[in-house]
Amino acid sequence: MPEATVIKIKEGESDASQARWWHRWFRTPQELRELGVVGINMRNARYLLPNNPRRLYELVDNKLRTKALAEERGMTVAETYGVVLTPHDANRIEKILAGKDAFVIKPTRGSGGKGIMVIDKKSGKNYIKPSGAEVTPGDLKNHVSNILAGLFSLGGKRDYALIEYRVQPAKLLTDMSFQGAPDIRVVMLHGYPVMAMLRASTKQSDGRSNLHQGAIGIGIDIATGMSVHAIHHGKPVTHHPDLGIGLIGVQIPQWDTILKMAVTCQEMTGLGYLGVDIMIDETLGPLMIEVNARPGLAIQMANGIGLLKRLEPIVEQHRCKPEADLTAKIAFSKKFFRAKLPKPRD
Amino acid sequence: MSAQVKLLTAVILLCVIGGGLASYKSQKLGVPFWQDKRVDEWLVEAKLSFLATGNDVEARLALPAKAIDEKSGQESGSLGYHYHVEPSGGEYTALWSAKNRENAQALYYRVRFKAGSGGGGGPIAAIGVPQASEVPKLPGSLGAAAEGLASYAKSVTSNPDALFVRFFERINDPESSQEYALVRRYYEKDYFISPDIAMGIDLLGMAGVPARIAYGVKLNEDTGAQEPLPLLEYFDGYAWKVRNPAEPTKVINGNEVFVWQRGGGSLFEVTGGENSNLSFTVVRDRIPLASLTDLQDSPVLIATILALPVSERSVFRYIVLIPLGAFVVVLMRNIIGVPTLGTFMPVLLALALLEIAPVKGILMFSVLVGAGLWFRFLLSRMNLLVVPRVAACVVIVTLLMMLMSVVSYQLGFSVGVKITLFPMIIIAWTLERMSLIWEEEGKRSAIIQVGGSLVVAVFAYYFMKISQIQYWAFYFPEMLLILLAGILLIGRFTGYRLSELIRFKTFSNA
Repeated sequence: MPEATVIKIKEGESDASQARWWHRWFRTPQELRELGVVGINMRNARYLLPNNPRRLYELVDNKLRTKALAEERGMTVAETYGVVLTPHDANRIEKILAGKDAFVIKPTRGSGGKGIMVIDKKSGKNYIKPSGAEVTPGDLKNHVSNILAGLFSLGGKRDYALIEYRVQPAKLLTDMSFQGAPDIRVVMLHGYPVMAMLRASTKQSDGRSNLHQGAIGIGIDIATGMSVHAIHHGKPVTHHPDLGIGLIGVQIPQWDTILKMAVTCQEMTGLGYLGVDIMIDETLGPLMIEVNARPGLAIQMANGIGLLKRLEPIVEQHRCKPEADLTAKIAFSKKFFRAKLPKPRD
Repeated sequence: MSAQVKLLTAVILLCVIGGGLASYKSQKLGVPFWQDKRVDEWLVEAKLSFLATGNDVEARLALPAKAIDEKSGQESGSLGYHYHVEPSGGEYTALWSAKNRENAQALYYRVRFKAGSGGGGGPIAAIGVPQASEVPKLPGSLGAAAEGLASYAKSVTSNPDALFVRFFERINDPESSQEYALVRRYYEKDYFISPDIAMGIDLLGMAGVPARIAYGVKLNEDTGAQEPLPLLEYFDGYAWKVRNPAEPTKVINGNEVFVWQRGGGSLFEVTGGENSNLSFTVVRDRIPLASLTDLQDSPVLIATILALPVSERSVFRYIVLIPLGAFVVVLMRNIIGVPTLGTFMPVLLALALLEIAPVKGILMFSVLVGAGLWFRFLLSRMNLLVVPRVAACVVIVTLLMMLMSVVSYQLGFSVGVKITLFPMIIIAWTLERMSLIWEEEGKRSAIIQVGGSLVVAVFAYYFMKISQIQYWAFYFPEMLLILLAGILLIGRFTGYRLSELIRFKTFSNA
């Protein structure tokens, strides 16, 4: 009875939202539980460990395999220009890059955005990063060698460098971000979309989209794809601190495609609990960037809703209807996780 | 069986086995469970090792007379040797003999005595009145110089004690007088081992005070195997007294030095063997001898590390503490939520702190990491590849440590010198990890993580330092199973971490 569970949880939230003197310093465990906040220990013990078998991690930790799987399913991904496998290839990097002026170099096993180098254009012999910094071909070769040596990979294992299409994010999204390309994170449990957020960088986060480094987390309504809530350093905001543009009430384009993409990612990897990162290209539309087997908890802050309030009904629904298909799952999430919509921005 | 049931079964099983063994030990074998009920005893083990040449072997080892007179616990260990103790003139000698021995041999003799029961250096009455032995003539002008020193010293001092003090104060400080330095140089050339004592014995002899060499053991667990400590025994007109020539003004402190042999005979002798060597190992034992003997005769499961020889046992003093450190890390990370650099780096750091002192250790660590980090950034400007960069880091840390040791030694701290291989590796590794995080996630997370590691290391250090905890870990290692059960339980803890109560303080409902 998923409906009943949802209602029961909603009843209990009455006094947790009341202001108390100690909220300046901390919240009590009981308050957090009433808000439905999920902590790291709970995420690991209840959702990660039982649902994500170790052997499946390889599928998502290696971006080459994730991309191959996604292409099999007919998903749009960033075009691969080349893969550097050996130090010998690293010396010929310019040959691989011939004719490409904009591209991204990333380690195939990187995590948390480590080791990603974005090149926007070429100027003479040198390459230009989005920040305007110049990169010489020698720097580029060095970066690739560091990737191969495993500087950025999990556990320092030897790695490969992946060179791919530089996404040109939709203007609607770049307008909301100080440099950097905003991406959309959808968290899934058993194939049901749980929560979504848009991550936009600020001057402080220096083009990165990690919330603890000062990026903005913008919660997105699962049902409609409209932004409903935003936080910067854990506190609610309505406008971008550097750009002044409104962040609430923005409709994300092609929302249904994004949801389908996210559910397909769950089906192809078999992971029970995961986060899917998607970017929207101006011309190509939504592109699947990567799948994360250990999605963080900041998404509940960005949405202003405890994850538990959505995870528990999904666990119940999954128990009742283990055979539900993609459309049924999306329909369930859209029906029960509808947020109160704000006034559209323009 | 669900995961929950499996976990509970394991936890209960571990607690029952651990608790059962511990209570068997304390109830049946009488090993005190609380450390204030313990006895404080020193266990000194002499190990006589040599290479047998294939003939009959006879080995003699002088024994501490005091221990035998007071009937302290003692035992000897030696497979296949005939063993007996030979008393002679108030002194005792252990005698081992065997036929046709070959290869490396080791003979053990252990003695236990209560801490603070005196070091055996007190006066003993002489048999008859000993005469100062004939002093060998020193060549030429040296002989005259030495005689002069002795007769002058005799004229300005009133008794043998004062004479002893006067001689050794000057011998220990060669710059005090040219004559002493001159004579001392002669002894340094002729006597390879303890020239000071040889010179002191001769000078005392010239001044008419009978003196002879004695040997002791430093009561210090940290030195591991130690050489015999040469001491000096002299006759003050009524009785023989032992003093440490390095500290001439002090009477021997029974808590610091145990006098093993006196009487002037040889400390050990081996016939039928070569390369003979005598070393001592000292441990502080905290359970009564009777229980210890019972324990050592028990099955391995119960005896555990106490079944090992003393020299091997002392290694475990630190090893048994590692699980305790790991437990603190689990607690701090999963319950409190302190961010650390790597999972078990704080345990290693805490072990390093046990070797150095905590305040000095942390100071040293911070200085080294700070300086190393600065060099590391200089290196990163050169765009070096990863492996050479880490190697360069290790070289720099080594050089910094050398520099720091020299500087701290010059300034009069001795800590710097004690830094060993182990803390060095930790620091080099910390540097590499920290600089990577610094570049990737910014200086804030780098400093937070290193700071967190330090905090956890300090907590782990103080936890490991609690003497009751150390006592349990060493004498009741099966209690570590209960600790393991605790760790397993925390492994299924799904509540909020303390840090999350703060992290989510601004949580606002949409």
